[in-house]
Amino acid sequence: MSNQSKQYPRFRIGARIEHFILMVTFTVLAVTGLPQMFSLESAVARSMIDLMGGIELVRLIHRWAAFFLVGGSIYHVFTSAYRLYVKRERPRMMLGRQDLTDLIHLVRYNLGLTDEHPKMPKFNFGEKFEYWAVVWGTAIMTITGFMLWNPIATTSVLPGSIIPAALAAHGGEALLAVVSIVIWHMYNVHIKHFNPSIFTGKLPHEQMKEEHALELERLEAGGKPWPEVERPVLERRRRIFIAVSVVASALILTVLVWAFTFEQTAITTIP
Amino acid sequence: MLPTYQRHRTIWLVLLVMVAAIVAGLILLYQANTAAAKADRVQVTAQGAEETDRTAIALASALEEMPAQQTQRGPAAGDDACRLCHGDTDESVVLPSGESFPIQVDVEAVNASVHGDAAEDPLQCTSCHAPAEYQFPHPPVEAETLRDYELSRSQSCEQCHQRPHVTSHPGRDAENPVVCTDCHSAHETHPADAWPEEKGVDNCVECHQEREVDFTDPGRLAQVIENDLFRQSRDNQYCLACHGLTDLSTTLENGDQLDLTVNEDDFHASVHGTDNPWQPLACTDCHEGVTFPHEPIVAESRRDYSLQMYPACSECHEPKYENLQDSVHGQALEEGEEQAAVCTDCHGAHDTPDPDEPRSRISSTCAECHGTIFEEYRESVHGEALLEEDNPDVATCTDCHGVHAITDPGLAAFRNSSPELCGECHADEELMAEYDISTNVFDTYVADFHGTTVTLFEAQDPDVPTNKAVCFDCHGVHDIKHPEDPDAGIKANLLETCRECHPDANENFPDAWTSHYEPSLDHYPLVFLVNWFYRIVIPATVGFLGFIVVTDVYRRARDRFSDRQEE
Repeated sequence: MSNQSKQYPRFRIGARIEHFILMVTFTVLAVTGLPQMFSLESAVARSMIDLMGGIELVRLIHRWAAFFLVGGSIYHVFTSAYRLYVKRERPRMMLGRQDLTDLIHLVRYNLGLTDEHPKMPKFNFGEKFEYWAVVWGTAIMTITGFMLWNPIATTSVLPGSIIPAALAAHGGEALLAVVSIVIWHMYNVHIKHFNPSIFTGKLPHEQMKEEHALELERLEAGGKPWPEVERPVLERRRRIFIAVSVVASALILTVLVWAFTFEQTAITTIP
Repeated sequence: MLPTYQRHRTIWLVLLVMVAAIVAGLILLYQANTAAAKADRVQVTAQGAEETDRTAIALASALEEMPAQQTQRGPAAGDDACRLCHGDTDESVVLPSGESFPIQVDVEAVNASVHGDAAEDPLQCTSCHAPAEYQFPHPPVEAETLRDYELSRSQSCEQCHQRPHVTSHPGRDAENPVVCTDCHSAHETHPADAWPEEKGVDNCVECHQEREVDFTDPGRLAQVIENDLFRQSRDNQYCLACHGLTDLSTTLENGDQLDLTVNEDDFHASVHGTDNPWQPLACTDCHEGVTFPHEPIVAESRRDYSLQMYPACSECHEPKYENLQDSVHGQALEEGEEQAAVCTDCHGAHDTPDPDEPRSRISSTCAECHGTIFEEYRESVHGEALLEEDNPDVATCTDCHGVHAITDPGLAAFRNSSPELCGECHADEELMAEYDISTNVFDTYVADFHGTTVTLFEAQDPDVPTNKAVCFDCHGVHDIKHPEDPDAGIKANLLETCRECHPDANENFPDAWTSHYEPSLDHYPLVFLVNWFYRIVIPATVGFLGFIVVTDVYRRARDRFSDRQEE
């Protein structure tokens, strides 16, 4: 059957770049962050810190990785804006009632209560869950990380006890993110079967059928993977978008660099 | 027919059993041989005799010549009985090792020995050669080698004499034992101070030079001989005849007056005096080789004389002397700072009291040079308790800085390990319970940003300085006050303390530090709640995701199984 070996478009280059930035920065942040969290309890954590060049260097790497993670997140906001405004795509990541029924349906199927596999859309409930977990997690980590990095600026507007609370949240959220990735992401895209679509942009028929049956049906019926906009309309919207985004991104980048460098928390000499 | 690999396995098994049988047979054969060898053990033989039957004849004839009553079995009736055989003879015992020794005992020499007739409590042969073993006729010597025999005989010395001895020779159980008779001999026994001068040296030389036995402590032999420890005269009265006089002094090159009077009572009351239970020192132990009349002291100044004399302490206190050389004081001395403390500056020369009796003596000793620091310490929470209440637990100078091996407190290593230093007391629950002080202080410090960083530096780069705060950056060094002291306590002006490192800090900032509290609903409730939030959310998430994954794995396994069934 030619259908079986057929590949279906899933991710454009923008999404793949975003995933790559997230993958690298998340890994670096976890590898430099968790050993700091467990440095007192675990000899493994301590030797990791030692291997990476000592605690001061590990903190520096962690902060640079954070800079790129936040940069990547802002890039995501811009690409999303482009899709929503210029391309007028439906926000398909939004959670809906169907996600809940799909979840219950899948569990029933897994337990053998039904023999019918749920038909899921382009982004199924598991992927949406993961997406929003990343959005939520990155927001928490960015805010608490900023507080820990700039405690003097933070305490000039908030009570002092926000700093140890931010430390607790930063560690708790980090652990939550890492265990979720290890259980959920590893199982779904590596163990269950390797899902290459985030690197190749395409998914084979078999996996489409299992995980995105609705999308598969739509594509089979001749639907376009992404909506197409008439050329003159697209050009006009694009011009507006580029004008706005250049100004906005320049501004945001300036604020970002300033936010990452403005505070001199402590003296650099020995007290 | 068995498959090939199983046949191979069977062949290997048979070979293994055969090898095991051969080894077991060889072991049995060897044991039988040694048992036979033991049966024809030691034999007494006439010197030069070549055959055993001739020995038997000689022994039989010797026995026939003996008086009838002494051939009867029973305890040897005094030394005379032993001397009948062992007095004037040229016979010897040949041991299985091939070594031999004469059975003759020089009766005159035994009598002249410390155990002889002239002694207060003279010994008889049977005092050492116990009668239960040595009846006549007595069983043959049972040792394998001459050394075994010597070792087993020396046990009898311990019936009267106790170890340990003045030297540190290894005892009978050691690998290379040195026993009493090695130096004092078996029959011609003399105490060390009755040895002729060269014998003392000969005894040592025999093992350590000729037999090349290494010294466990090189230099000790030389020191023992040099110190004349065996025949030391302790008659300090000889020196005190002059130096006991008051107002005796001499003028040194720079005009310094050196007091030459030694107060006999002070000296004897000191740790080195006759009142101490260990080993009182003689004047000449430190003032080596001085006899009367002696040369006048040659010294530039009083300090110069102290520096000349203090190495004498190392004769007995070598490890501490070495520590001093490596310490800040020793280094300063090496760099030419003559005033740097040496042994006698802290301990005194003739009047050497217990250095920590009473405990406050320690800080007043240091105060002689480090007066300003002592003034700060005196006002501190530790100093007040020590000096006013004679508290036995509070830290005094040496608890933090060490005693002889004092390191430079300005070094990164000192800074990085200082929290552990404070923790030695402040994390000790038993000790802190007495004063109602929380032992959480160390753990809460280490769990915080500053403490974690310092701990990692201490573990990984102990010699690299870190600017993260350690205990004394906030609490003070020598002038540590109670945290709640209204004037100088840390709580009274925490913001100022923070600003020493964080100059831009505002009034909210000090609360960023949890003040050694474990977060709870009373202290830092926000931190407490955040911790609880994740303590619930993380397992819940793991459980939820894990549940879906497990059901998925189950479905896939079931599908695969039923697929296979269909095939």
